[in-house]
Formats: sequence, structure tokens, C-alpha cells
Amino acid sequence: MREFNIVVAGVGGQGTLLAAEIIGAAAVKDGLNVRVSEIHGMAQRGGAVVSNVRIGDAVFASTVLDGQADVLLGFEPLETLRNLRSASEKTLVIMSSERIPPTELAAMNMKYPSIEDVLAKIHLFTRKVVVVEAAELAGKAGSRLAQNTVLLGALAGAEEFPVKTESLMEALRELVPKRHVGVNVKAFELGRESVRKEQERA
Amino acid sequence: MPDMKVLLQDAPGKRVLLLGNEAIARGILEAGVSVVTTYPGTPASEIGDAVSEIASQAGLYMEYSVNEMVAVEVAAGAANCGVRALTAMKHVGLNVAADLVMTLAYTGVRGGYVIVTADDPECYSSQNEQDNRFYALLSNLPCLEPSDPQEAKEMTVYAVEVSEKLELPVLLRTTTRVSHTRGPVAYGDLTKPNLKGSFVRDMKRLVMVPAFSRPKHEVLLRQATKAKEISEESPYNKVVRRGREIGIISSSSAYNCSVEAASLLHLDAGILKLGMTHPLPEKMIAQFLKNYMRIVVVEELEPYLEMQIRAIANDHALDTKIQGKMNRQFFPRAGELSTRSVAVGLSEITGKKLPIDFQNIEEKYAKVTADLPPRPPILCAGCPHRASFFVIKKVGGDRAIYPDDIGCYALGIAPPFGVGDIMICMGASVGTAQGISKVTGRDTVATIGDSTFFHAGIPGLVNAVYNNSRIVIAVMDNLGTAMTGHQPHPGTGVTGMQLPAERILIENIAEGCGVKYVRVVNPFKTKEATAVLKEALQQPGPSVVVFRAPCTLMDAREKRREGIQAVPARITEKCTNCMACIKLLGCPAIVVEEGEVRIDEDSCADCGLCISVCPYKAIDGSCAE
Repeated sequence: MREFNIVVAGVGGQGTLLAAEIIGAAAVKDGLNVRVSEIHGMAQRGGAVVSNVRIGDAVFASTVLDGQADVLLGFEPLETLRNLRSASEKTLVIMSSERIPPTELAAMNMKYPSIEDVLAKIHLFTRKVVVVEAAELAGKAGSRLAQNTVLLGALAGAEEFPVKTESLMEALRELVPKRHVGVNVKAFELGRESVRKEQERA
Repeated sequence: MPDMKVLLQDAPGKRVLLLGNEAIARGILEAGVSVVTTYPGTPASEIGDAVSEIASQAGLYMEYSVNEMVAVEVAAGAANCGVRALTAMKHVGLNVAADLVMTLAYTGVRGGYVIVTADDPECYSSQNEQDNRFYALLSNLPCLEPSDPQEAKEMTVYAVEVSEKLELPVLLRTTTRVSHTRGPVAYGDLTKPNLKGSFVRDMKRLVMVPAFSRPKHEVLLRQATKAKEISEESPYNKVVRRGREIGIISSSSAYNCSVEAASLLHLDAGILKLGMTHPLPEKMIAQFLKNYMRIVVVEELEPYLEMQIRAIANDHALDTKIQGKMNRQFFPRAGELSTRSVAVGLSEITGKKLPIDFQNIEEKYAKVTADLPPRPPILCAGCPHRASFFVIKKVGGDRAIYPDDIGCYALGIAPPFGVGDIMICMGASVGTAQGISKVTGRDTVATIGDSTFFHAGIPGLVNAVYNNSRIVIAVMDNLGTAMTGHQPHPGTGVTGMQLPAERILIENIAEGCGVKYVRVVNPFKTKEATAVLKEALQQPGPSVVVFRAPCTLMDAREKRREGIQAVPARITEKCTNCMACIKLLGCPAIVVEEGEVRIDEDSCADCGLCISVCPYKAIDGSCAE
């Protein structure tokens, strides 16, 4: 199979690690070769975090080569921008609209860029962008904490994503705490629908 | 997060997605390792954590030792009674344990003994990026380098075998990209642990007085020669691909980048993958060199392989051209390698054109990042260290000097506190403070965490008492080893076997060491903590102030379990948007939107610190001081 590269970018505490792990576990269920790279420790404390997921027979390295992401899954607009080096015109950017202003923003007298500015910068790399109202959809599913699962669902809705949706769901059920499974399954479906709709429109 | 019981499954052939470190934990079970010791440290922590979760079920003994030195001592004691053992640590932990390891190489071991050193190229979570393969060269111990989780598991088992064959400890060296990469791992057979050891008195072997050390050094060198034979035959040293243009020699995660970079450039390259990197398989390497006009050595950090490969070429009078980073630097010597940096180096060496226009990517990326606000790691909302730093800065101001230590509280250097003037290694805050205080006469406040205090702070404390150094030691006690994942330490009352134990209180240690002024404060009670710290600074000798409150992440987890919901603080109409809370605390839960201060309900931990600092009493909450 052709390799498929995903960059999962966000802020420490948003659940990027869990999302990446679910994708990896699902890929193994499908009998695929996969590498998921994570950064733990100090970097997790509210800082910018990124996980890479690479699927394919010829995958050795655990990080995505610049310009080679098939999907850039951005949990936060600024963090999506910070990881654009992995993108090129072939990359689909799936981005949550939920903004987390960096703490130093106020102290540094900087402003959080508008969504138009963010999109314009993404467009330097690719025109394929889907903005997901992750917070709203997670709320609809029952908990704002399920935003990572909304985005996971959005990824499942992306064309060419090589992992079966059933496998993702199965991995989700296994890795999410039991009492939260219901909310997460719902969040997953809402995320998937949102991207499907977007892609049909496009 | 995954349930580590998955590691216990007796299901040979089963494929499971595991983190490199979890794969090592599985390797421990497959090798029948029975004693596991560790001191947590990124990127090694999950080895111990996984084992801690399953130790009692698996029937093995596990402990979070007080530091890496003691961890190796405990394991070496067991291994010298014929029990299989393993110790895991981050790279700098091996510096702590080095005194022991260097001579343990002389005594050797009877049961297989593996020392995992997890290096951190790029300093993702470390103070340096030393290349610990040099410890293998320095100690004469064998060294194995896995490149992915599957190999991490297999090599753990193999390391135990090699160790028993040679009666020597074996180093298993990973890097962040090996330890913290998940990949499919195929299970092998489990081996039942055997915790029952027997001690055989043999002074000539185990008591390293000079008369016995000299012959044991000879023994070590003989074993190192045998190790070389093992390396020549090792299944982990192999030519994985033949080619005509160039020969690549690589190991660990650099190998992964090499394979992909070579295919990106359509290079017809032969690749020799080295998994056992000490001692090197000299004959195998010489043979590989003979087959190529040009050899490229691709490795992370120091030219450890290259240096030795050049020597081999010299010994065998080969005129093969060897390139890497010694004569001319084709690959960076600092930081981790990526497929890109390896491809760029290979392209320079071979003249093959890069198929990706990295320059163009950089130009576009520069436009994106020009005005992109940074997002460095910060203290969490509700972190007790924020309250401690607020108090310390308020009392010590810019006048005092703040030697700092290894832990989350290293983030005190960030605005608005800027507390942290010198930070080098575990425990160094206490010692450096004494030298600084001695020669400057200035107020000196050393900040050190609870786990770090136990690890390496106590000798420094004894020194301060005995030499009557006028310093304040502020122990930031958040009741766990927070940065690495809340592992227990002697102050927590829990062991690695997850059993209760008698807590050792930091204040009791300080008093026992003879500190005259010892106080324990709750950092969120800022008035009281301020008064105590002021008093501490008035003392003629050393004083210890323990700032004690649980890590907010631990606390939140506990509360969630109990079904208690945090009630976020609330900004009332009295707020004048004076920004005092922003400027004084830098809390991620307090944000400014269109010039107005707002509390982010999702992230507020209800610690109450902002309530106590607001000059207009404009913040309400359940947790007011």
C-alpha cells in the first residue's frame, strides 16, 4: 500500500496522544504496519505538542517528512499553523475552530489571529481545509472533553484514510475509560458526519 | 490509556501496538526478568510504570528506587545472587549510577542484568543530549541499540542472554524516538520469573579491593573479546540490503531515517544495520567496507560508530572513503536526525538531487511563523508551584539568587516569575546555592522538588548544615514525581509494587540532619507562606521551607474519581481589568479577550490563587484563602 502520514497537532492536555494512539491501535487491528511518535514529559505541560502517525509497509521513521503529511489534524488553529511544514498541496488540513490563546499572548501584547488570517496562511500550503466545530459538536455529544474524538471522527471521514472505521471504533472503545464510551462514540460520529458533508459540498 | 494487563497475555504471535518502553516491559516478561528497578525520567519512565502496574500479577519485584545509583545497586545485588534483573533510567541517570556501573563491570553478574539507558537527542525533556554509547566504550560493557518497538522487546530478551553468557551487565540504549514510538509488536513466549536467589561468597569476585580489582580488570578485557565474537554472530548486526553506489552503516532511529532517505533519493545503497554497537563486529564491518568505494556512517549525536569504523578501515589497510561527521560534517552532531537531515547529507555526499524543495517549504513556513505566538510549556492551571513562585518572588524579589533543580518547577524561569538562576542536574540547586551564598553574601533560595530532594538533595543539605551555609532550601513538595507521570517516592507512602509504606517526611529529614529552622507551609496560603519565607531568610544558617500541596493533575484525577466537580473561579463586576492577575501569575486559565480578563471555565482548577492576589477582590470562588 501507499504510505499514509498524519500529523496530530495541539496543546498539551487536549488529548492528542490518545487520538494518535487510537489511530495506531486501529491500524494494527487492520493488520497494517504503523509508527506513532509521541513527545512526553516537560513538553506536555500546556505547551505545543505533536504526534505523528505513519501507516504503510515501507514506513521506518516515526516522524513525517516535511511536506509529506496526507492529513494535518489540528486540534487548535495556532498549532495547526505551527505544523504546516509537514503540509503541501496534497495535504488535507482538518482543523478545530476551538482557540486556546497562549498564556503569554496578553503579556506580549500580541493578538490571536482571525480565522481568515489562519486560513490564508494554510492556503500558502494547501487549499484542502476543513474546519470542524469540535467544541460545539463535543458539547452536543455530551462533553466538551470529547473534542479529540470529534476530530478522530473527522479523520475517519477523510477520503483515502486507510484504516477501517469499525477498527477505529473498536480501538476507541478499548482505550477510552468505560464510562465515557457513549459520549465518545457519539462525538466520533458527529465529527465524521461533519467532514463527510464538507467533502460532499467540495 | 492502555491497560498494561495486555502485556501479561500468554499469546505468542499476537500483534499489539506498544510504545517502545512498553515493548521493553513485555521483553522483561519474556526474558523472565524478576527484579526491575528504576528512577523515573523521560524518555525512560514508561518502562517502570508499565512494570509497576503488572508486577504483582506477573510475580516479579519492582521498585522505584530513590535514585539511579541505588536502583543499580539493588538490581546488581539481586543479579549477583543469580536472579535476572533490569534497571531503567534516562541517559543522565547513568551519570548518577556510573560510579557503580564502572566497577560492576569488574565484578560482573551471575543472573542476566540489563541497564536501559534512554537517551534524549534534541533535549525534548532533558538538560543535555549526551551520547551514552560512550559509556559502553568507557566501561567495556556490551551495548545494544534497538530501532523500533519490536526490536526493543527482542533485544531486551537478547540482552539478558548475552549478559548471562558473558556474566556482564549489558546496556540497552534507546532514544526518545525508540522509547516513545508506538509500533506493532509480535509477542513471544513468556518466561516465569524466579525471584529466589542464592548468595555465593566469593570475595575475589565481588570485593573490589586493589588486589582483586587488578585481575578482575583482566577478566573484563577477556570477556570483552568474547563479546566481540558474539557481536560478529549477532542477528542484530546484519547487511539488510546490498547496493552498488554506496554503503551506509547506521543504527537506532538514524537507521530508520537512512532507509527512507536512501529510497527518497533513489540511491542504490547497501545498508549495514548495527544493533549491537559495543563491541563492534570488526570483521563484519571490514568485509562491508571492502565491498564499497564509499561508506557513509549515519548516526545520531556523536560520531561514535564513525570513529571506530575509521579505525577498523585503518587496521585493515582499506582505502574506502568514509564520510559522516568527522572530517567534514554532512550530518548534524547536535539534535536528533530526521529523514530530511539524513537525505540532505546523503544528497551532498552523492550529488543526487533532492526530490523535495525544502527551501521552498522553509520560505513559506517563515511567512507562517513570522508572527506566530509561541506556546512554551507552562505550569498548569492550579499548579501549587505557581503559588510557591509567587511567594518566593514576592519575598526574594530580584535581590535574591535562585538556584533551581530538575522538575516541573524548572518552568519557574518563565514570565512572570523568572525564578531560576542556575540549573544543571538533579540535586545541584542545594550545592550550587552554598557556593553562591558563600561568595556573594546574597540571599539565596534553592528550589528543589520532593522527588529530587530524595534523589540527590540530602547530601547537599548535610553539607549546608555542617558548613553552616546561609541558604534557604525551598522544597516544592507536590507529593509525587509529577513531571514524569506521578510516580511514588519515599515521601508518598506507596511503593512501586503499589503497596502502602511508611512515609518519610522531608521536614523530619531536615530536622534529623540538624537544620534549625524547618517549616511546612501550604503555598496557597500565601500570607502565611510569605511570613515563613521572610523568617527563613533571617536565619544565620541553612533553613528548609517545605511548600506542600498536591500536584493539580493528581488532585483533579482524585476529585474526578470521587465525583467532585471543580467550581471555576468567577470574575465579578468589581474587575477593573488592571491585569494584576495576568502579570503576577501567568495562569493559563486566566485569558484576556478584547481587553477584558476572563476565566476559562474548562481549565480553571479552582485553586484560589487569583482570588488572593486580586487587589480589587474582584474574583469569587469556593477556594478563597
